[in-house]
Amino acid sequence: MDPVSLIPIPDTIPVHWFWLHLLLTVTTFLHFVAMNIMLGTGFIAFAAPFWRGNDAMPLNAHIAKTLPYSIAFTINLGVAPLLFLQVLYGQFLYTSSILMGVYWLSIVGMLIISYYAAYVYRLIDNRTGMGRLYIGATLLLLLGVSFLFSNNISIMQMPEVWASYFSNRKGWLINLGDPALVPRFLHFIASAVAIGGLAIALYFEIRKRRGATDGEEWIKVGCNWFTIATIINFGFGFWFLGALPEAAYNPATLGGKIFFVLVVGSVATIIPSVAAAQTGRIIPATAWALVTVLLMTLARDILRLAYLKPFFSLSELPYSPQYSPFIIFLLAFVGGIYLVGWMLKTVWNAKGVA
Amino acid sequence: MNYPVWQLEFLGGGFLIAVIAIIHVYIAQFAVGGGLFLVLTEHLGHRKNDPGILDYVRKHTKFFLLLTMVAGALTGVGIWFTISLLNPSATSVLIHTFVFAWGTEWTFFVAEIVSLFIYYYTFDRLSKRDHLIIGWIYFGAAWMSLFVINGIIDFMLTPGAWVENNNFWSGFFNQTFWPALFFRTFFSIIIAGLFGFLTASFLKDNELRTTMLRYSAKWLLVPFVLFLASSWWYKAALPPHIEEIIFQKMPQLRNAITIFLACSPLLILGGLIMAIRLPSGVSRTLAAVMLVIGLMYFGAFEFLREGGRRPYIIYDYMYSNAILKKDMGKVAKAGVLNQAKWIRNRTITPYNVQAAGWELFNVLCLSCHSIGGPLNDIRQQVRKNSPEELHLIFKTMGKERPYMPPFPGNEYEKQLLIYYLNKTMRR
Repeated sequence: MDPVSLIPIPDTIPVHWFWLHLLLTVTTFLHFVAMNIMLGTGFIAFAAPFWRGNDAMPLNAHIAKTLPYSIAFTINLGVAPLLFLQVLYGQFLYTSSILMGVYWLSIVGMLIISYYAAYVYRLIDNRTGMGRLYIGATLLLLLGVSFLFSNNISIMQMPEVWASYFSNRKGWLINLGDPALVPRFLHFIASAVAIGGLAIALYFEIRKRRGATDGEEWIKVGCNWFTIATIINFGFGFWFLGALPEAAYNPATLGGKIFFVLVVGSVATIIPSVAAAQTGRIIPATAWALVTVLLMTLARDILRLAYLKPFFSLSELPYSPQYSPFIIFLLAFVGGIYLVGWMLKTVWNAKGVA
Repeated sequence: MNYPVWQLEFLGGGFLIAVIAIIHVYIAQFAVGGGLFLVLTEHLGHRKNDPGILDYVRKHTKFFLLLTMVAGALTGVGIWFTISLLNPSATSVLIHTFVFAWGTEWTFFVAEIVSLFIYYYTFDRLSKRDHLIIGWIYFGAAWMSLFVINGIIDFMLTPGAWVENNNFWSGFFNQTFWPALFFRTFFSIIIAGLFGFLTASFLKDNELRTTMLRYSAKWLLVPFVLFLASSWWYKAALPPHIEEIIFQKMPQLRNAITIFLACSPLLILGGLIMAIRLPSGVSRTLAAVMLVIGLMYFGAFEFLREGGRRPYIIYDYMYSNAILKKDMGKVAKAGVLNQAKWIRNRTITPYNVQAAGWELFNVLCLSCHSIGGPLNDIRQQVRKNSPEELHLIFKTMGKERPYMPPFPGNEYEKQLLIYYLNKTMRR
């Protein structure tokens, strides 16, 4: 069956696709940062006691305290990119979601359980022994959710596998035929562990600057997680690159050229980030790492366009301009940033070291 | 027609979305009214200089945060996931038409999360004034979320001039927008009182427990009058044909109407009883019962609102089976099997009658009928009607049976679907 015949007809967009894509990229970047912190710190909280035993518990107490925040912000900051993704690529995303409908819907239950498990982990006094089950459950479920998201994006980008619907219409598709699925997932997880490590270092660096004296050891621990996970991620990254269809990085195309530049740029910015982390300069390390995440987000966008090129381009979307709601959104967005900034400033000025 | 159909048999017929939506909307409206409850109760504690009340606010906030931030927020995501699986075409219309309304609502959602975290964790750290301001910011953001979502939800029931002009503002500020906004606002305050009962009933100090139960009773009883007035306004704002569908033409909605009418006096009575000094065990049990009654009450309303849209998913624009009203002629001419994208059996032969009938059933019926499930079970519908009556149902769909879409396909497909139903669902 010709996959093109299965692609649904898209609905009309109210502003030029460029604005929607800009919002998609910006909010995806914010979501990735929050998601990396959530998944990475959760991973480290689970894994660190295997190496350090109960010595890791002071670190885990801090992670337990912040994990519910990072879960909340990851989910919240995931809403916006999912919205803009639906506007631009809904005809692909809705279809892929239906093809894996059972798994897709199970994400909601998995998130609720993992979120409550994270709260229990925060509230219990003894995080050793059986207490580790809570962070283990949180981590396992979040890893499951990550894999299902990778699976959805994989199906979405490959209309050539959609015909499998006709052999199973109940929503059980895992796209294991995609050679990039597993390395994509592992690449994301290793990135999360790296950024999670750096987030720990940054957290204790900020506390140190505000007068705390208990963080030196954890800054080093965080930087080491960051460095080791980044080195491992080079392996996953190359595996991922090798599994991509040739069209994605074909230098003869404009998309291929941009993708190449973005990947090289990501490598070029993560190296000074690791170097800064290893010499204890946490703020520059964070700044470079954020640039890397941004470049990887852009590479991700280019990759999606390359995958879908045989089937679709954004300029084909029907467009009927109505800009006034967009302006209202921008005003709310700016107002929201101001309000959040004011609240954070008020708390920052009011409290000592938490 | 445009998207694949998720083969959800037992849980079909709207059951899945009904369960998730009712739970979510109940908690989400608590997130609005409960925000007002928090900040006004904190004001009360400061005014009376009563550490017991302030301690209660702190404990209630913890409960509030754990319920609204986790279950409330995630069931909201759950609704989004569910509707995109069950009716992607309608979801796509809502997303594309209101992308910046959703975006605006998201910015309020961010403000809600930040302010609620700060509110809960800074009782001892912020000045009284700043803490109260944070509480008001939370309530303002939560209410604005309601404001935005209300426009989109009511658009589905009364899209009004949008159907003609596709203008965002025509769809958003539709004819039921304002009554529904007041209706939901007052209901959210009532829910705050119901949850107030629950947490107050666990207070150990008898005096404080009685005080807070009476205080919560006021949250239930005072807005009730305004809530009933806004219900009347909401009903009056409905176009006559929708009102007729809800209150006269749809037998499936009678139970929901009965529950809605019966729960009003029950809630008032319960509120009055809670204001009496009761033993803690009794007040806890009653508080739990009241919460369930509130859930049934609101569930019945949501059921009626959803039912009022029938046979559409977006009134006067898109039928429940995702076929656009304007496309009906085209589909009838070309045939459903020819027009739908995700069809294997486009041509009917003696060898694929069953398979083609099944595909027709999936595309046309599965959005409203479950197979053997608790809601709108097709097996029951088929079994209680003779083959001749089944023919009559198909003939009267969209006419004497206004809650069902007219059969959109050609005559041959109609006979094929009836054959499939008789052959498969009658067993």
